[in-house]
Amino acid sequence: MLIKRKTGGPDRTFHPAVAIGDTPKAIDRRAFLRNSGLVAGGLAAAGSIQLGSVRKAKAAGSSAIGPEVTIKKNICTHCSVGCTVTAEVVNGVWVGQEPSFSSPINRGTHCAKGAAIRELVSSDRRLKYPMKMVDGQWTRISWDQAIDEIGDKITGLRDKYGPDSVYWLGSAKFTNEAAYIFRKFGAFWGTNSVDHQARICHSTTVAGVANTWGYGAQTNSYNDIRNAKTMIILGGNPAEAHPVSLQHLLSGKEINRANMIVIDPRFTRTAAHATEYVRIRSGTDIPVVWGILWHIFQNGWEDKEFISQRVYAMDDVRKEVAKWNPEEVERVSGVPGEQLRRVAETFAKEKPATLIWCMGATQHTVGTANVRALCILCLATGNVGKPGTGANIFRGHTNVQGATDMGLDVTSLPLYYGLVEGAWKHWARVWDVEYDWLQSRFDEVPAKAGRKARTRKESMESPGITSTRWFDGVNLPEEQVDQRTGIKAMMVFGHGGNTVTRLPEAVKGLTKLDLLVVADPHPTTFAALDARRDNTYLLPICTSLEMDGSRTASNRSLQWGEQIVKPAFESKNDYEVVYRLATKLGLADKMFKNIKVVDNVPEAEDILREINRGGWSTGYCGQSPERLKAHMRNQAKFDLVTLRAPKDDPEVGGDYYGLPWPCWGKPELKHPGTHILYNTNLHIKEGGGTFRARFGTERNGVTLLAEDSFAKGSELTDGYPEFTMAVFKKLGWDKDLTAEEMASITKTGGANIDAVSWATDLSGGIQRVCLDHGVTPYGNGKARANAWNLPDPVPVHREPIYTPRPDLVAKYPTRPDERQLRMPNIGFSVQKAAVDRGIAKDFPIILTSGRLVEYEGGGEETRSNPWLAELQQDMFVEINTGDATDRGIKDGQFVWVSGPENNAKAKVKALVTDRVGKGVAFMPFHFSGWYQGDDMRKFYPHGTDPVVLGESSNNTTTYGFDPVTGMQETKCTLCQIRAV
Amino acid sequence: MRRTLTIFRTLVAATILTAAVGASSTSFAQQTRDGLNPTGQNPTAESVNEEFLFKQDPKITGRISIPDGKAANLIQPAGRDYRDFRERWLPWLSALAVLGAVALLGLFYFFRGRILMERGPDTGRKILRFNGFERFAHWMTSSCFIILALSGLNYIFGKRLLMPLIGADAFGVVAQYAKFSHIYLAWPFMIGVALMLVLWLKDNIPNKIDIAWIKAFGGFVGDKHPSAGRFNAGQKMVFWMVIGFGSAMSVTGLMMIFPFVLTDITGMQLMQVVHALIGIAFIAGILAHIYIGTLGMEGAYDAMGSGKVDLGWAKVHHDLWVEEEQAKNANGPQLGRHQVPAE
Amino acid sequence: MARMKFLCDADRCIECNACVTACKNEHEVPWGINRRRVVTLNDGKPGERSVSMACMHCTDAPCAAVCPVNCFYTTADAVVLHSKDICIGCGYCFYACPFGAPQYPKVGNFGSRGKMDKCTYCAGGPEADFSTIEYEKYGSNRLAEGKLPLCAEMCSTKALLAGDGEMIAQIYKQRVIKRGYGSGAWGWKTAYRETVAI
Repeated sequence: MLIKRKTGGPDRTFHPAVAIGDTPKAIDRRAFLRNSGLVAGGLAAAGSIQLGSVRKAKAAGSSAIGPEVTIKKNICTHCSVGCTVTAEVVNGVWVGQEPSFSSPINRGTHCAKGAAIRELVSSDRRLKYPMKMVDGQWTRISWDQAIDEIGDKITGLRDKYGPDSVYWLGSAKFTNEAAYIFRKFGAFWGTNSVDHQARICHSTTVAGVANTWGYGAQTNSYNDIRNAKTMIILGGNPAEAHPVSLQHLLSGKEINRANMIVIDPRFTRTAAHATEYVRIRSGTDIPVVWGILWHIFQNGWEDKEFISQRVYAMDDVRKEVAKWNPEEVERVSGVPGEQLRRVAETFAKEKPATLIWCMGATQHTVGTANVRALCILCLATGNVGKPGTGANIFRGHTNVQGATDMGLDVTSLPLYYGLVEGAWKHWARVWDVEYDWLQSRFDEVPAKAGRKARTRKESMESPGITSTRWFDGVNLPEEQVDQRTGIKAMMVFGHGGNTVTRLPEAVKGLTKLDLLVVADPHPTTFAALDARRDNTYLLPICTSLEMDGSRTASNRSLQWGEQIVKPAFESKNDYEVVYRLATKLGLADKMFKNIKVVDNVPEAEDILREINRGGWSTGYCGQSPERLKAHMRNQAKFDLVTLRAPKDDPEVGGDYYGLPWPCWGKPELKHPGTHILYNTNLHIKEGGGTFRARFGTERNGVTLLAEDSFAKGSELTDGYPEFTMAVFKKLGWDKDLTAEEMASITKTGGANIDAVSWATDLSGGIQRVCLDHGVTPYGNGKARANAWNLPDPVPVHREPIYTPRPDLVAKYPTRPDERQLRMPNIGFSVQKAAVDRGIAKDFPIILTSGRLVEYEGGGEETRSNPWLAELQQDMFVEINTGDATDRGIKDGQFVWVSGPENNAKAKVKALVTDRVGKGVAFMPFHFSGWYQGDDMRKFYPHGTDPVVLGESSNNTTTYGFDPVTGMQETKCTLCQIRAV
Repeated sequence: MRRTLTIFRTLVAATILTAAVGASSTSFAQQTRDGLNPTGQNPTAESVNEEFLFKQDPKITGRISIPDGKAANLIQPAGRDYRDFRERWLPWLSALAVLGAVALLGLFYFFRGRILMERGPDTGRKILRFNGFERFAHWMTSSCFIILALSGLNYIFGKRLLMPLIGADAFGVVAQYAKFSHIYLAWPFMIGVALMLVLWLKDNIPNKIDIAWIKAFGGFVGDKHPSAGRFNAGQKMVFWMVIGFGSAMSVTGLMMIFPFVLTDITGMQLMQVVHALIGIAFIAGILAHIYIGTLGMEGAYDAMGSGKVDLGWAKVHHDLWVEEEQAKNANGPQLGRHQVPAE
Repeated sequence: MARMKFLCDADRCIECNACVTACKNEHEVPWGINRRRVVTLNDGKPGERSVSMACMHCTDAPCAAVCPVNCFYTTADAVVLHSKDICIGCGYCFYACPFGAPQYPKVGNFGSRGKMDKCTYCAGGPEADFSTIEYEKYGSNRLAEGKLPLCAEMCSTKALLAGDGEMIAQIYKQRVIKRGYGSGAWGWKTAYRETVAI
């Protein structure tokens, strides 16, 4: 660049500016020391006087010339943006980080966490060897002993209580391959209780978005936001949660002079850069969105053509929206009508417009409904399926999108096949195992509490318990839990313990468990809550920077990360641990039948190839390891905005970066991936698509297929259903299939060949032929404004369980008590009791929670990193200046935050600020290690305690679950704050 | 001299303050119109900017999450003014004070010469003027002072005088030890000042005799010796200078040893300025004290040397004290008697 | 010859602290020493802005002027560096620095403020380029490798610019013209006696 090497460099004669003229340099330092008899050692040894405070470097400098520096690329694990991490490795030691300028996603940049990620690997606070708690004391054990004992114990539990008694909690920091084999392991073990962090961050997004237009993922990309003329960020603070995304947002804002509207209860760092900030009451997203739509419908600003062609039942929404006139919206949410009118007009007219949301929208008892309302807002204004538009959903971990795709979800097998018989049969074919054998692994559930008994097959097809309720699965009376017994063992891989609400009840659950296994680079909160005396194991897992594999960023791009250094200490990677456990349980031969295993470590590339062989439904079929590696090699060739490589490139020509799914057909087909979902302006071979015809062809006589809308170059110029052999035969396209493909389809279909579809055809022939005809394999449907299969088909406002406005509960109550996902959800009773007992008087402050830029998730990893920990040394609660004055609270002093359940209280520092409005408090959720005022540092295994500890915000969070996904309510509860 | 210093101090403080204001107002004037938004469309253009913030406060302070409070201070242009004081004014002021004091004393010596001891009937007999503990306190303080003064002057003149002579690296080592000595010897110095206060406070309370003494110019002019108690008005002035300057140096010095514990950057700068200005005044004052205690007056040094002074000298210079001592003790001068305190 | 400067575009800075940890990472800066920091002004109120600040490598640097041991020197790229061999940790440079850049490790003994440490513009110190001793005392020397300071290279939103003063001023100007607003080059007036005229 513009840098010239520092010329000459200063030497010992560098003091030209000595005030008094030119002076001869009498003696140099060494001569001086020699003459004066002071040698360096003498100086250092001179009592307590230390001349220098010069620090000692841990490793040779990154700029050291000499040893050979190897460059390795992996992906930052701290959010879903997918920043490439470029590591400099010398002699197997990671000595430095360089900016990854060639990555089109982060273009060299990082946030605080990414810029400090090297320390994760070399941290001496990591768990170094397997440990076991013996009579309350942590004891070192060997891997063999750990696997042996754990295997024996879970086998014992399985024999006694059935497979559902063991809960398998996976991680959003898994690679795709690890997530996949973990889910596969769950299937082979015989349970659907396999979950991960998506449950608590974007499960409602996945459910809401998929139920609207087909796939549960970000429709566009971070880079594409550069095209937007208007962006609404609702319930998200990407400046802290996804800082690198702000590069694209702010660039877009600058280049297009775009409107950037932030709707949030809190004036966040993102809001500071907004062109308009709308402060709402927590939990009133639907009234606000309906309030915006009210103006849009009232003024006819909606995109009528788009709605008629591509949206089903928008009129049902109109009816609901009509109730939300500006007065009612202001009464409920506090937002003035005039402001919402401005927002509505901007969003509807200044197009393309995009909607960005995060956990402020999803983590609610109405999470799925919130997401649905947001999707409907996009649909009503025609802001989907074009550059600069869409639902840009920012997810939270490296691979939370991928892990969700891989089915670390209690409701589905990998790649959203669901749990239906066809799904199991599909995967049985891919895995090359007997369907009947898989079925035999599941449990028979006796009839209890008036519920029917369940067969193995029914168990197999019944969603498991969500991670948000695992402790309820332990604590509740067994007849209330819809499986043979409650949960007896928790197998926790890469998941914090402080991430779920109602922590005091989780602690109770922990004490009751027969077995707790925590497999993680750090001990995590699970290990340090002082709840257990024995039968607790800690397995050191390496970070995903120490392993190969692909990760799917929020924008659906897959990036191949290579092992930077070998796993530190005695840690092992997820592949190996799952393999060893499978071996111990006698499942390895079946599970890894088609996967190469070297020295107990299954090869990531081979796992991905198996995913490719089965991942048709989501277009995970085209991203072979070879293609992904080629993308990493050629990062610099991809365009910043379109993410596309030049067509003439020999390796990655025409591809979108990371082959964002769906990447149709076999890898040889060289589908470029789909940068923008549902984009009808492109040929499907160029990444175009339509809304997915996922919900049938018609309902009550109304078509569910698109009308007069189709992707560019499509041979079918209207809506069409998803492609099966039956449809192919009708169209005569079956003749386009090769003999080989036909043979495979015949084998798959057996007697019922017509049922073989684009998603179950293992040959990829159906997809190939679809592409040739310019049609989308999943059909061309309408997006649903009315999703009739959801509890609230058209979203309706429901007050939070603990609402500061009990007066609104009668009109907007939460959903009635009902059973979901094997558990009772008694939200209605809790809400009613709270209103009856006048909770809002004793706990007058709304408590919401969120991220800090320095930390991530449960925070064990980042709080153990001194470079980050130094920047946030205390857990705090943001309290409004007015509330603080009323309570005599000064900035920086300790306060008690108490919650309405479990007599919960948390001792935290007050951060007095106007970021939060009056009557609102905010706590970051990354802290743990203090519990109800007590420091728990001593309970961590020696030397593994994070640098910074603090109260977990979930000490004081309360009941409340989304009816569709079991999402917890962390964004809106009540609290009281008092000075200590 | 003390008054002069006080004026100086006020002047400098005022200069710094006005300079700070002046500097920031020039920065307003020369600010560009960056802060303005030509399109008038973007509300974020109304963000805070330097110009706006400097109008509210000469330094820009915000919020920072690390516990280091001073890190929250983003820009303090007053640093430039501190630099002006330290580099443009202080060397000259110091040189003026120190060399001026030396020159004045030289002139005095030239015109007045050494004040010789007057012979009298009691010449040759000794009287104990300062006991061992008093002398210990004095010498501890004064030896510390000398090193503090030299190492202190090194902060101002070292790089200008010593560094060119011995080279940067050697000077670095010297300066490092000078700094250690400055910090470590500050403690015995402070103890010494406190001890002297306790020991000699009673004899240093100003009274009417002092006025007469001053009116007679302390006997420096002419041959008549005004009456004086244990300490004459001149000595009292030295005492109070040591106590006053000593405590001021102690307070400001402690603030610098424990920086930012009690004050912010502006306070620290002020401490530094005060410390330096009083320091040089102190040095100048002590030079006069040294002169009169050694070269300037025959017989004076013995008081702190052996502790015993010539009775004749004492009767001339501290007649009232000698009377008092003799009245207390009929035996006359208390030679060789350890226990008897001066009072 | 390039005249190196820093420029923080406060309309881009989101207080993500990447600059802070990148610096820690690159130079293994110990706990308690903050060569770079981000300060948020008007926190929580409309008009809130964050500014990343470190040594600005001033023209006619005040730190260098007040240093009683003349341990500072300016490189040909106008980077202000210092020698820890000569520094005595007196603290004067902190009083003079308009930007709070100098940092002092707390050395065990009372009163012994350690050798001053500050942003080196990733240009090491007086020791030989790439020597271990240089790295131990000052951190790595990216400038000598032809690279820019890591804080700016890694800035999440490209708010923090580093490089030749005229070039980064040009980049900033273009940005301001493009987007129509800009709260100015923070600290330039104080550091360089000039500002970016738009």
